[in-house]
Amino acid sequence: MTTPLNTLIIGGGLSGLTCGIALAKTGRRVAIVSSSTSSLQLNGGAMELLGSVDGKEVTHPLEAIVSLPPEHPYQKVGVDRCGTLAVEAKQLLADTGIYTTGTVEQNHWRITPLGVTKPAWLSLRGMATSDAPDRLPWKHVTLLNLQGFVDFPIQFVAHNLSQLGCEVTVRDIFVESLCQPRRNASEMRAANLARTLGTGSKLRQLAEAINQSTTNNEVVLLPAIAGLEDDYPVTLLRRLVNAPLHFLATMPPSVPGTRMAMMLRHYFKMLGGTYLAGDTACRAEVAENHITGIYTAKTPDKAQIAKHYVLATGSLMSLGLVATAEGITEPLFELDVDAPIEREQWSHYGLLGDQPFMHFGVRTDATLHGIKDGKSIDNLHVIGSILAGHNPLTMSDSTGVDLLTALAVAHEIIEK
Amino acid sequence: MAKDETYDIIVIGGGVTGAGVARDCALRGLRVLLLEQGDYNHGASGRNHGLMHSGARYAVTDPESARECVEENAILRRIASHCIEPTDGLFVTLSEDDLSYQQTFVKACHASGIKTEVLSPSLALLLEPSLNPQVQGAVRVPDASIDPFSLTLANIVDARLHGAVTLTHHTVTDLLVNNGRVEGVRAINCRTGESQEYHAPVTINAAGIWGASIVRHAGIDIQMFPAKGTMLIYSKRVNQMVLNRCRKPSNADILVPDGAVSVMGTTSDHIALDTIDALRVTDAEVRLLISEGERMVPSLSSTRLLRAFAGVRPLIASDNDPEGRSISRGIVCLDHASRDGMEGLITITGGKLITYRKMAELATDLACSKLGVEVGCTTATTPLPGSENGKSARTNYIASRKNTAANRHGSRSRQIPAEDTSDRTFVCECEHVSVGEVKYAIDQLHAIDLVDLLRRTRMGMGMCQGKNCSCRIANLMARLTGDTAQAQQDLNTLLDERWKGLKPIAWGQILRDTQLTVAIYQGLCGLDKAIAGRKEGQP
Repeated sequence: MTTPLNTLIIGGGLSGLTCGIALAKTGRRVAIVSSSTSSLQLNGGAMELLGSVDGKEVTHPLEAIVSLPPEHPYQKVGVDRCGTLAVEAKQLLADTGIYTTGTVEQNHWRITPLGVTKPAWLSLRGMATSDAPDRLPWKHVTLLNLQGFVDFPIQFVAHNLSQLGCEVTVRDIFVESLCQPRRNASEMRAANLARTLGTGSKLRQLAEAINQSTTNNEVVLLPAIAGLEDDYPVTLLRRLVNAPLHFLATMPPSVPGTRMAMMLRHYFKMLGGTYLAGDTACRAEVAENHITGIYTAKTPDKAQIAKHYVLATGSLMSLGLVATAEGITEPLFELDVDAPIEREQWSHYGLLGDQPFMHFGVRTDATLHGIKDGKSIDNLHVIGSILAGHNPLTMSDSTGVDLLTALAVAHEIIEK
Repeated sequence: MAKDETYDIIVIGGGVTGAGVARDCALRGLRVLLLEQGDYNHGASGRNHGLMHSGARYAVTDPESARECVEENAILRRIASHCIEPTDGLFVTLSEDDLSYQQTFVKACHASGIKTEVLSPSLALLLEPSLNPQVQGAVRVPDASIDPFSLTLANIVDARLHGAVTLTHHTVTDLLVNNGRVEGVRAINCRTGESQEYHAPVTINAAGIWGASIVRHAGIDIQMFPAKGTMLIYSKRVNQMVLNRCRKPSNADILVPDGAVSVMGTTSDHIALDTIDALRVTDAEVRLLISEGERMVPSLSSTRLLRAFAGVRPLIASDNDPEGRSISRGIVCLDHASRDGMEGLITITGGKLITYRKMAELATDLACSKLGVEVGCTTATTPLPGSENGKSARTNYIASRKNTAANRHGSRSRQIPAEDTSDRTFVCECEHVSVGEVKYAIDQLHAIDLVDLLRRTRMGMGMCQGKNCSCRIANLMARLTGDTAQAQQDLNTLLDERWKGLKPIAWGQILRDTQLTVAIYQGLCGLDKAIAGRKEGQP
């Protein structure tokens, strides 16, 4: 590389890309090393700031943030800064082309692939949402599925929506152009459908099929199977369909989540960022609590050197943390990890409870520097899902932590 | 359903023994009712290696069991060929084992009529390349791999074809005792909570380890010695032949190839009778099985684990040995009339998976003599449904990968709906389970909930352990049964059930995948909220 890097970010998921975009906007030279697909493919098209505290759903996240325990990442960001950073995050997404509804003052409710409501802060434009957990904005809806698409559990969606007092009519629609992928089950995934439906003519066919199976102007709900790279297909479908059309999240790989990942990546590159896809940071040189270089799998002989390093490699499922039979480790820097030593304490019976392994993460100091052998590394920040101190699933704060820690660290690097 | 039902025989327990008894009774023209507290193979029948003993394992220490195995092994190869993969087995001597035991072993096998062939280490390695190259010697025996669920189900299917009534998810809560006779049972339907009486002059207790608590309802004591056995399933079939250590039967010395996987076992620990419904695999058991397994087959150290599970052997102390000093694995058939003065009650227990048919014959013979019925047993010669054409046994799994449904259901797989595209759509990609097969399992094999479905089709048992397919299948179940709220509840039960077998080995890729599963079902979907809502709404 000709000019030295200002920041090298390890991990190209939501937090890594957000941090990268914020830095690249200021003209800094930034590179992201990204090994694989991000957990955004599990994102149903919504961002959450703080959805639940002590098992109770939260309506006003900023009020609830104040009382979070000191180890929570928001405390490190500074609870009084969360509101400003959240507004900034929404704007950053909009700059990227990801248009959302929702405000930081008050949660709304997203509708899950099972048809259950869960608190959310921002939802992608076009997604079906509600302003309350126990009711829907519609009295009647027509719930559509594409014949042969098995990753949209329509029975559950219909059942749970009707539990909320909404009358649901279920219809299957047949789309000619989907006959080919149906021969192979693994091709009938949401992301593949979005790819198959990608062109204008096929979207018109779909819109026509929708119009034929809906007679009046009742609200139509459709699994989110359009718009993998940008939201043009979403806009087009909504224009072509006569009835008001909203999308519902599907089982992964989620189309809206994948779209966000692609758009963020695209925007980062547009801003001049270097995105090293399919590469893995595999070794770090650390001298006296200072990183002097990173080696990646593709360039094992040449160190990538930057002024600042940001670790955004995610949790166990993204391999930011690794569980061997002997213990939980952070494989790149061997940072100090918050996790019990005894294997039997890593999890509980009863899968969907408050699982200890969801709390695992690396320890950081008050300004989100990584800690190794009890000492902060002065040019390494840690952001996103690899952070210890909370259970992102029971608290519904996963994307919020990704975005806010990314922006907080970007500011810190900019101010230095 | 009528409030009062009368049969000739009531069978308690839907394991392989109970299923075998029900079939034998039905083939002899008796009106039979079978009651099972969970699903078929809920107990030890569904929680074992799937090893079809040639008898060799018991030849030295328990010749009586060995001889029972020899006879039944030959019969099962005729009547249940679709459940059996004739892999043969090796008894291997590793460097730390005493090679002189091999002679004792071969002599004992000879005495019990078990064919043996002593192999040189190099020939053994040629036949089974996965073996530890330091093997000192090996003896080939006619062991095989058997699918216990297909076996039990085939017995159930045949019993029902011959008029038997079989009810799963029905727990017997009492025996109806009148004037020193058991005249029937009271049972509760676990799904609806309804309790009902069923009447018959003879009740056969085939409840395995739960048998002691059954007869206690009639004031009878039998001394059970619950022995917990833990096993590990590896995600890949590493061995082609059943592998045993050639030494006195001990912990962690068997590796059985089972379809696409290998099963390592087993431990043996006495446990308290009141813990049999809450079996937990311990870390120590897992460590032992892993280290011993890797001694026999070194490549296991780099093979991913799939699950851990435990079962309880229904061992029983003979009446003159109440301390249980010499517990046999042989068959125990108790006539409670002569033993305890309680007419109308028979307990059949002990034995092995592969001696189930013999056990059923003994119990049914006794029942017939009580009923005054003089019809002989035909189960030794009548093929089970799925094996009617008597053709070859189950083909080698790897070669037959393309048509796994045929392997699961034998010749009856022709009944699986496959006419239109939607029936042919796969819902479980790991194990190639189609919508049609799910329909077949519900309609023909009485799958009531998702865990039932998993046992009948193997869906969710592959690499993803249900992560990808659970939701699809739950949705399909909701559509086919019309009870969406229940299917949603069952989806959670299924995920918990899968997790139970993963938790003891949850590190590495398994913990990684588990985090993904939780992120999908708790985070993305809010399944926990869907279920909590139901509990509040419908107390």
